[in-house]
Amino acid sequence: MGSMISQAGFDLTFKYVKLFEQGIVVTVMLALFTVIFGFLLGILLCILRMTDIRPFRFLAIDRNGRLRDGGILLTLSKFNPVSFLATCYVEVIRSTPVLVQILIIYHGLFKAISLPKFTFFGFISFERFFPGVVALAMNSGAYLCEIIRSGIQSIDGGQSEAARSLGLSRGQTMLHIVLPQAIRNILPAIANEFVVIIKESAICYTIGVQDIMAAVEAVRGATFRIMEPLLVATALYFCLCFPTSKIIAYVERRMSRGSKR
Amino acid sequence: MAANDKLIQVKDLKKHYNKGVIRALDGVTVDICKGDVMVVIGPSGSGKSTFLRSLNLTEEPTGGEILFHGVDITKKKIPNEKGKLVKLDLDKHRQKMGMVFQHFNLFPHKTILENMTLAPVKLKKLSKADAEAKAKSLLERVGLADRAAAYPIQLSGGQKQRVAIVRALMMEPEVMLFDEPTSALDPEMVGEVLEVMKELASEGMTMVVVTHEMGFAREVGNRVLFMDEGKILEQGAPSEIFDSPKHPRLQDFLSKVL
Ligand SMILES: Nc1ncnc2c1ncn2[C@@H]1O[C@H](COP(=O)(O)OP(=O)(O)O)[C@@H](O)[C@H]1O
Ligand SMILES: [Mg+2]
Repeated sequence: MGSMISQAGFDLTFKYVKLFEQGIVVTVMLALFTVIFGFLLGILLCILRMTDIRPFRFLAIDRNGRLRDGGILLTLSKFNPVSFLATCYVEVIRSTPVLVQILIIYHGLFKAISLPKFTFFGFISFERFFPGVVALAMNSGAYLCEIIRSGIQSIDGGQSEAARSLGLSRGQTMLHIVLPQAIRNILPAIANEFVVIIKESAICYTIGVQDIMAAVEAVRGATFRIMEPLLVATALYFCLCFPTSKIIAYVERRMSRGSKR
Repeated sequence: MAANDKLIQVKDLKKHYNKGVIRALDGVTVDICKGDVMVVIGPSGSGKSTFLRSLNLTEEPTGGEILFHGVDITKKKIPNEKGKLVKLDLDKHRQKMGMVFQHFNLFPHKTILENMTLAPVKLKKLSKADAEAKAKSLLERVGLADRAAAYPIQLSGGQKQRVAIVRALMMEPEVMLFDEPTSALDPEMVGEVLEVMKELASEGMTMVVVTHEMGFAREVGNRVLFMDEGKILEQGAPSEIFDSPKHPRLQDFLSKVL
């Protein structure tokens, strides 16, 4: 074996440029689908967590039809099973490694559910790509839920109070007062999550998705070179992530200028 | 005043937390008549805000009654014109009570004009054109006609609070609630806000004002309530309260603030 990094190593690596090209397409597709499904899941989870479904609501009211001033019954009346389950989901996802999640989804869930075997774009195996998207989306949905929720909670309570005091309903207050301000506040975090997903998608090679990292592994297997393909992968991920975050930052600046805040 | 002038009758109002360990309101009874300018004073934590917030049901009381035009609004169901029990429409009720907050609570993502027209337009009280015309004439009255297109961040504290007052007036409330409207202002801006409130009072608006501005209480108020630990300890005309306070706690309080 030659030195750790050599021109010859790069020459060998570049023979497999086709694999890297395909890897870029797969990585971008993974990130794109993950963001879409993750965002939808995030919104859904957020709505579930903020619902006002309280089956024991009646316990809050005492015999005289008055709100109780404390005690176990008042606490119980606030229990919301839907919100509780959504919270459990978010906390479990956020407290376990994404690698474990992706392996469980692939070896567990999608061994139970068999997927159709076909490839799209000529080289993306649906059977492996789809579980990858599902696992990444399930993961980032939990984070996005927290981002959206904290955005909503970051809006001063006085805003809702003022809106409600004018006679606006709960929904109108959310739609016209809270959400517009919350979304503006969380845009940076959502954009950041998109970049995180591009990077995290690298983990999908562990279930055989043919992304950039899979190209690295293939080159290593064929040429016994590791540093050169890794450096190529580094450059590729950087070229995907860095401009993305810069573009998002630019859009954000434009938006905040428009609002004259 | 005649009994039918009573706009709001508060009877033994209670707001307890933790099984009565915390008593934000502990049996408040008071009548608010049409045209009253009722000033509420008292030390911090005495329940003044809770009292105001209960009136428009931002806080749900744990006991007592609030009669608005004789109807108990603390009940989930109230009789309608035909005497049938219907669900109380909280949003409708709140439209009848304007609220002005210590920290203004203008909507930062909306212009001054939008702040004012949002509620009447969304609640279909006024058409957009009518709402804008009304907003402009109200802004004119408080000397802010030229700021209609500005965003709240571009206004001084005093200007923000004047906007907050006219924003509440857009809904043509029957009573205006003020929770320490000048407490967050720089001293030189207090006067301009009190001036607007004074004018409002002179037009006959029913007002409940929590404030530490004793000069305003004496000059504009027709009744003063002194609250402490969730109770009204003393009430009366401003001259009685300020010149011959009877309760030792009131005497003590006044010696600190005057
Ligand atoms: N959500 C709450 N839980 C427990 N105690 C509360 C809550 N809200 C208000 N209080 C208590 O109620 C009392 C009255 O508060 P407040 O009406 O804000 O007083 P003020 O406006 O006179 O300063 C305070 O002692 C406060 O700590
Ligand atoms: Mg207060």
